[in-house]
Amino acid sequence: MSALVPVKCHVNGRVVETMVDARMTLADFLRHELGLTGTHVGCEHGVCGICNILVDGQTTRSCLMLAVQAEGHEIRTVESLSDGDKLHPIQEAFMEEHGLQCGFCTAGFMMAICDLLENNTNPSEDEIKDVLGGQVCRCTGYNTILRAVKNAAAKMGSAGA
Amino acid sequence: MAVRIPNTLNELPASQPRFVGRGIRRVEDASLLTGRTPFIDDVVLPQMLHCAILKSPFAHARISSIDTKEAEALPGVVAVLTGEDVLRWSYPAQSAPEGWGSHCMATDVTRFVGEPVAAVAATSRYVAEDAIELIFVDYEPLEAVADPFEAMNSDSPLVMEDQGSNVMMDRVFNWGEVDQVFSDAEHVVREKFRWHRMGANPTETFGCIAEWSPLDLSITLRGSIQSPSMFALGRASTFGLPPNKVNVISHPHGGSFGGKGGSRGSDITCMLSRKADGRPVKWIEDRIEYLTSGGSQAWDRHYEAAIAVDADGIVQGLDVQLVDDIGATGDMYGAICAAKPLAAFTGPYTIQAARYDLKLVATNKLPSGPYRGMGPPPHFFVLEQLMDRAARLRGEDPSEFRRKNFIRSDQFPYTIPSGNEYDSGNYGEVLDRVLELSDYTEMRANQVKAREEGRLVGVGVASAIEPGVFDWNAYAIVGMQGTGVPEGATVGIDVMGGVTVRVGFALEGQGQYTLVSQLVSDFFGVVPEAVQVVQLDTQSAPPSFGPGGSRLGVSITGAVLGACEKIKEKMIRVVASLMQCEPEQVRLLDGKFGVEGVPGAEMTVPEVAGTMLARSDLLPPDVDPAPVATHVWTAAGRTEPDEEGRAKSYLTAAHAVHVVQVEVDRATGMVEIQRYCLADDCGTRLNPATVEGQTDGSVAQGIGAALLEEYAYDEDAQPLTTSFMDYLLPTVFEVPEIEKVAVVTPSPFTPLGAKGCGEGAIHTTPAAIMCAINDALLPLGVQTTEVPASPRRLWKLIQEAQS
Ligand code: FES
Ligand code: FES
Repeated sequence: MSALVPVKCHVNGRVVETMVDARMTLADFLRHELGLTGTHVGCEHGVCGICNILVDGQTTRSCLMLAVQAEGHEIRTVESLSDGDKLHPIQEAFMEEHGLQCGFCTAGFMMAICDLLENNTNPSEDEIKDVLGGQVCRCTGYNTILRAVKNAAAKMGSAGA
Repeated sequence: MAVRIPNTLNELPASQPRFVGRGIRRVEDASLLTGRTPFIDDVVLPQMLHCAILKSPFAHARISSIDTKEAEALPGVVAVLTGEDVLRWSYPAQSAPEGWGSHCMATDVTRFVGEPVAAVAATSRYVAEDAIELIFVDYEPLEAVADPFEAMNSDSPLVMEDQGSNVMMDRVFNWGEVDQVFSDAEHVVREKFRWHRMGANPTETFGCIAEWSPLDLSITLRGSIQSPSMFALGRASTFGLPPNKVNVISHPHGGSFGGKGGSRGSDITCMLSRKADGRPVKWIEDRIEYLTSGGSQAWDRHYEAAIAVDADGIVQGLDVQLVDDIGATGDMYGAICAAKPLAAFTGPYTIQAARYDLKLVATNKLPSGPYRGMGPPPHFFVLEQLMDRAARLRGEDPSEFRRKNFIRSDQFPYTIPSGNEYDSGNYGEVLDRVLELSDYTEMRANQVKAREEGRLVGVGVASAIEPGVFDWNAYAIVGMQGTGVPEGATVGIDVMGGVTVRVGFALEGQGQYTLVSQLVSDFFGVVPEAVQVVQLDTQSAPPSFGPGGSRLGVSITGAVLGACEKIKEKMIRVVASLMQCEPEQVRLLDGKFGVEGVPGAEMTVPEVAGTMLARSDLLPPDVDPAPVATHVWTAAGRTEPDEEGRAKSYLTAAHAVHVVQVEVDRATGMVEIQRYCLADDCGTRLNPATVEGQTDGSVAQGIGAALLEEYAYDEDAQPLTTSFMDYLLPTVFEVPEIEKVAVVTPSPFTPLGAKGCGEGAIHTTPAAIMCAINDALLPLGVQTTEVPASPRRLWKLIQEAQS
């Protein structure tokens, strides 16, 4: 049994201020308390990367963080990527390249790729693989995900130029 | 109404199909990419409770007592379930072979680590997990058996006491003059092989929400369920209910690959809901539960096999002895994986006689289940290693040795010794294309150079069949019954011309809703984005199996096109009456009905639908006014198995040849895949992009199988691979670029000539990689016969060779 603890953080640009169970994981908090169910969990022990979110812009396993540790931090989830019916270039690229099949792993990949491409719109193949290598996808065999990253990089590069 | 379903793209009512046959974007993606698709753990119902399950820590133990008092007293706990309830309320599960099923929870004896012994429903998952720690179980440990050969000994502990033996099945099948071809053979190549347990591991584990209605003894079960109608039948049998009292609502799910499992968890949550007076109970399996006690494990096989080769180098006979360690019970249906090789026993070759000596054995490991490919992947691994050895013995190139043993394209339809019929193929062409793609001659030349430098570089060429459009009759030898697997769809056109297709299965990744949209778009002249595909629950859906057995692409195409044809026929009658002509004069093309010989006399599909639904005054009296039709498709010409298990079972036979180059690191035993090339032929490609997606993913799973994935157990049947730290899935670092080329030989027997292609490359990939590794090891004079070829295993072999 554990106690309720106050937490205040930003989630997808909004202030969240609430009491949470001290032992609740950040993944469970986002999914079950805030209803942001676009973040999925695949292993809950830090290996698969499916639960990736951005904490202060950095790829983070939301299953390995407690909700209380979000105190004072800026969190972004897959729900922050699109704007109404306008998809983010990473989402468009995944769609164009068939970078997803079941789609269960995709949010985790997209958030990590977002972290990569926001800092570097011209990553090398190795830099891309370094990021993708931190996560598993059981459906696609990664070839199309790799293409999606390159496609997204081109889109984001030209948008920024 | 009998309908004729187009066998080629040209027969569609479109001057040029705009969508079918093209790699169009998927209609399911926008929702998935924005996180909006409702997976089962995203669903919240009023009053919902959460389940946690206490699992046995022993592989074999008698439960002497269970004390649940403290758990029940914990605030938030609503119900606690034990074996006593389970005995009162449920029956043991059905199984293959029959009689080897168990209850969803141990009732007196636990038979594998991870078997449920008690469960809790509470107001949160956190509280439920607290509560199971407050359940105290006294176990009296019993001797466990983890090895199938020991399990066959008469002094072995018995996994299921009342069976009197651990041998679930022991039979020899003889197809053709096996003894004769072996005694006439110029060479007999014989070897033992070991394929370790591995399995599906979809990224989403199993999850469900069960509601038991105390009023009419019915069940509503939502879940990440691959085959909703089979799941409903399973629950009905567990609870002794008529199947129409079980409504299964499948949710889109994060992959399945045959190994979603979930039957025990579903039965447990149903009974917890019953105990909690009908409140919905959710159970989301966690990864550790999935790995140790879910639908995760398949194919634990010990082989001894031989081929008989005549003086011309033609393989005449195949003799396979298989001891398959099924685990503790037969209710996860691992046995059907041992039966499926009958559908393609002799692979792509003209082998005329074969023997299958099959032993299914129970041990105290997790009951094994299905996995993508359902059993042939290990079988083809064995066959292809023997083919390589025979080629080497004769000094022939492995690709040419295979070529001369291929079934020729003029021999189709071709019946193999184990009874199935292959529909069509052009195996020589597939081989040519992959040799071209890989620059095979150059690859071999490079290998020679690498060997001179002392590097262990190897090239593997392997070829296999992917049986497509599964049929229950393929599994008759392990007790499955029935012939035919119906798949239905209902197509309806509304008053504004919008097309809606209702199907009986959920999304799980193969893009089937996109395929459905492509089909109706070309049929009625609309665009895929305008088509709505709706999933029905099992109480509403037409007969449906859903995805599985490389079947759904073909069968849903048959169902959808059949329904479209029926609507077309109705519309033609309406148009004929409005245009005052004969129905035979009316033609549908590109979304418009025209009248032959009357230029300008035209009605669009929406106009006809609008008339049917909103202008009854214009309709002839005898016409069916509903622009709606259901069609249930099943493969024609399937036969009842004979006493040797022979039947026409899987309708299609896709074919592939893979060429792989690997390098084995002498110092570490690590395998690097340097090139991966394949050619495959799965008939007409209805959406080439999604077909390629299936191929890529299946290659990746095949790489995992060949190099990484293994469920290890110790001698007390304790699982040693209990997290993703121990059970290794391939990452982007292990999966190279997959170079692909397609050959298209349409099936003469299927809708649009498509063949089953969903299981795909895993039939060939492990075989090809193992061939390449053994080719690399040749200079050392050692060969590996064990899958996965982990660095530890290869390193040991290399050490032995060098010492
Ligand atoms: S769910 Fe967090 S790493 Fe797997
Ligand atoms: S798309 Fe299914 S796990 Fe990646």
